[in-house]
Amino acid sequence: MSAFPHALTVNIPLPSPRLASILSESLAVDEELSPHVHRTFETDDSTLVVRYSATTARMLRVSTNGVFESIKTLLETFQELDVDVLEKDHDA
Amino acid sequence: MSPTSTSPPRRFIALGLEGSANKLGVGLIAHFSDNSPAQILSNLRDTFISPPGEGFLPKDTAKHHRAWIVPLIKRTLKESGVKVKDIDVICYTKGPGMGAPLQSVAVVARTLSKLWDKPIVGVNHCVGHIEMGREITGAQNPVVLYVSGGNTQVIAYAEQKYRIFGEALDIAVGNCLDRFARTLNIPNDPAPGYNIEQLAKSGKVLLELPYTVKGMDCSFSGILAYIDQLATQLAPSSDADSTTKSKQERKPLLDPATNNPITPADLCFSLQETVFGMLVEITERAMAHVGSSQVLIVGGVGCNERLQEMMGEMARERGGSVYATDERFCIDNGIMIAHAGLLAWRTGFETKFEDTTCTQRFRTDEVHVAWRD
Repeated sequence: MSAFPHALTVNIPLPSPRLASILSESLAVDEELSPHVHRTFETDDSTLVVRYSATTARMLRVSTNGVFESIKTLLETFQELDVDVLEKDHDA
Repeated sequence: MSPTSTSPPRRFIALGLEGSANKLGVGLIAHFSDNSPAQILSNLRDTFISPPGEGFLPKDTAKHHRAWIVPLIKRTLKESGVKVKDIDVICYTKGPGMGAPLQSVAVVARTLSKLWDKPIVGVNHCVGHIEMGREITGAQNPVVLYVSGGNTQVIAYAEQKYRIFGEALDIAVGNCLDRFARTLNIPNDPAPGYNIEQLAKSGKVLLELPYTVKGMDCSFSGILAYIDQLATQLAPSSDADSTTKSKQERKPLLDPATNNPITPADLCFSLQETVFGMLVEITERAMAHVGSSQVLIVGGVGCNERLQEMMGEMARERGGSVYATDERFCIDNGIMIAHAGLLAWRTGFETKFEDTTCTQRFRTDEVHVAWRD
């Protein structure tokens, strides 16, 4: 692991284990682009645990910033487009 | 089984998500089991437009798509009145296209597939254009010219594949036009190609430009380099910034016949006539090869009326005709992805979740066109 000395673990609490799993599975399909970065997704009950390790601090910053942008969009997707939300909108 | 002639046909609905370039499209389409025409339930689009003189970069484009995709899907559902339970399949553009923008859309498609518990289908962008063109125009078995900012291909259908007969070897014709628009600082709103088309209408002088057809294929980077060079020789425009004086006097480019200075409109006109002439030639070559007289033009450059006119003249000389769609369908959109994806899904095709990736390169002939004979 000394080849990837720069590491960061991000824990993101979600409202439910279902949403944590969906977030994890949707993000995990895309492979990490850079060979200088290792990344894993796990869920711990309702928490998404993202572990990054990179060869340089810069690569760590770039990759974690990137995943945050995707996470933000998916959180918005949960908030606006989940089945119960749409049902409530429809009835409103 | 209890089919009766009076029972209503089964309706299939697909959601389509497109974002391979700077257009973000969300579409909702319905197919019917009795094969009546497809019904467009919603076709929304938001385009990321960069300032004049600039193209759109992957990172900014992806940022635009991420900002707009949820509002656009929400609006689609609201305006169409379609409920989640009515949707059969989620379709998204797998490729080809720009990496980050493609991914920004695919990740939402995956999430919806899990949230709503629906199957998901990855669609080839080019096949989306072709199938939508066929559906809208009703063209039976045309040679297809697919021309856009990212693609230039001449395609003919044979034995469950869209086969590429000819293509641009370097850059797409739309890319050539878009980059020339940047050279001339033409606005990108609504699209650089559209503005070149309008400017070309007031062009009068046809300059000789490199004409690069190579058998069934063509090439545009040479003509772009040449015309970019010519653009530097244009006489300064009346509203040029007077504080920037060139160090030496430049002899402006003149029309050899009249000695009038060549205008940007003349360059746009000459560029269009030349590149469109090349496209007509390689399309005609393919038509002669397969024995077809019909041409279907799809892709953003297909909106160009001059291209449609030139292609129409050639097709009529061969006893045929040209088919084209309007900007709702020739410009990238989500409905074509929904349509092509639904056609595939109805044959039993589905993309496994772990395979719902995107790819910048995805050849048109890699797709098994199972929905046709």
